[in-house]
Amino acid sequence: MRTPTIEAPEPRSNNTHAAAKLIEVAHLTKLFKNFKAVDDVSFFVRRGEMVGLLGPNGAGKTTIIHMMLGLISSSGGEIRIFGKPFDANREEILQDLNFTSPYMAFPPRLTVKENLNVFAGLYGVRNGEAKISELMEKFAIEALRDKPISRLSSGETTRVGLCKAFMNDPKVLLLDEPTAYLDPQVARHVRGTLVDMQQRLATTILYTSHNMAEVEAMCGRIIFLSHGRVIATGSPIEVTQTVLKEERSEPALEEVFLHVATREHS
Amino acid sequence: MKWHRVRAVMLRHTYEVRRNLNKVFDSVVFPVLSMLMWGFFTLYLARDHRIQTSIAGLLLGAAILWGVFYSFQRDVAVGFLDELWSRNLVNIFSTPLSVSEYITGLIIVNLIRAMVGMLAVSLIAWLCYSFNIFPSLLGLVPYLLNLVLFGIALGIVITGLIFRYTTRIQGLAWSFASLLMPVSCVFYPMSSLPRWLHPIAWALPTTHAFEGMRQGLSGSGFSTLHFEWGLGLNAIYFAFAFFFFRWIFEAARARGLLVKIE
Repeated sequence: MRTPTIEAPEPRSNNTHAAAKLIEVAHLTKLFKNFKAVDDVSFFVRRGEMVGLLGPNGAGKTTIIHMMLGLISSSGGEIRIFGKPFDANREEILQDLNFTSPYMAFPPRLTVKENLNVFAGLYGVRNGEAKISELMEKFAIEALRDKPISRLSSGETTRVGLCKAFMNDPKVLLLDEPTAYLDPQVARHVRGTLVDMQQRLATTILYTSHNMAEVEAMCGRIIFLSHGRVIATGSPIEVTQTVLKEERSEPALEEVFLHVATREHS
Repeated sequence: MKWHRVRAVMLRHTYEVRRNLNKVFDSVVFPVLSMLMWGFFTLYLARDHRIQTSIAGLLLGAAILWGVFYSFQRDVAVGFLDELWSRNLVNIFSTPLSVSEYITGLIIVNLIRAMVGMLAVSLIAWLCYSFNIFPSLLGLVPYLLNLVLFGIALGIVITGLIFRYTTRIQGLAWSFASLLMPVSCVFYPMSSLPRWLHPIAWALPTTHAFEGMRQGLSGSGFSTLHFEWGLGLNAIYFAFAFFFFRWIFEAARARGLLVKIE
């Protein structure tokens, strides 16, 4: 099976082998009563890398991201970001890290501008007005500036989330399905913007998506999860070969995804 | 604690007040209507039952102070509920914002709202019923302070309970203060309560605030006893609220409630 082609600028993971590890997750575990949502997960992400965190629903991707944001506490293991343990350095780390997901919301009565003003304040952005205008232009939502969030479509709200995610010029960005609600044209624009910003600012990005073609186009390295465990890591082609246990000349992450999901269900 | 983050929380809730007409009704319109009702009632008592004007003044003074306490405690808890209803918790707590910065911002905004409401009802009491609380206000500030501190402690505890039990118990934000009202001796002295309720009433900073207020407004001077008791009890409730919230916040993180709570 061949996944559809997605146009995106060249991924930039080839020159990062010597770069510092900005995210280090070691033996991370999360138990909800008797259910192990994350089971002894270890991985790292180097400076400037865009890494895909993949897996079927319930694989533990979002739980890992929430633990990296301090929203959920871990049951075991360690998260180090910028070389520092997260729990002891939460405030300092979150100042240089950001996150977005189309599944989170904003106060609906507040306008786009007001919502972004609040986040500019939370991150202590100097000249917040200029920053907000720059980001609104980048994600093509200037016309929505004075509209309440309640009157935006899901795709427009997603773009507000992306503006929020770049508000503090983060060194590490956690993107949870950032193009899930976007139409193909806007999704392409957003992918281009993400890669452009990543290259200009050397942002380290951990990316989750169910769009495997998008991940192949964007991410130089993949961490594939199933039932809360890492089952394969490496380039898209390496993950394809590891999971499907056969030689391939091209990556086929969609096939990998279906293979793992089918195995989980059976 | 970083002031720019506290200011951002204040900004977020100020926008909410500006954009949400319910907040204006809660802060000003309903307290003013309540004051009008109490005003007519005291006029009736004074005219038809020859109740002393000073007693009528005590009732109006109590209505004003209770309004401050009730609305402040409610607004702190409802401010937090605003984040839940708009599913904004993940957004704000994935920034460097700490819980103490968040609560401080919430408290400052709602303290200002409570003071605006108090000013409005005090003006109504003065203009419509000739009850001028302003000359006595300075003497009432220590009791107001105790009411505000107790309102903060209650607001924090209720917010903690909402963290744990989610919006299933959100009604507490509006009703918790009312549960304390009968034993807080708002409109009557503690001596009116049955004896077995005295220890409960004595353990509430609200009782001491209203006992002290009555003493002050009736011209018997400032009650150091009631002020100090109120302050001491507030220190205990504050410490309890702080540890309770910390414990429940960590429990919410462990259970993953922070990202699921709605």
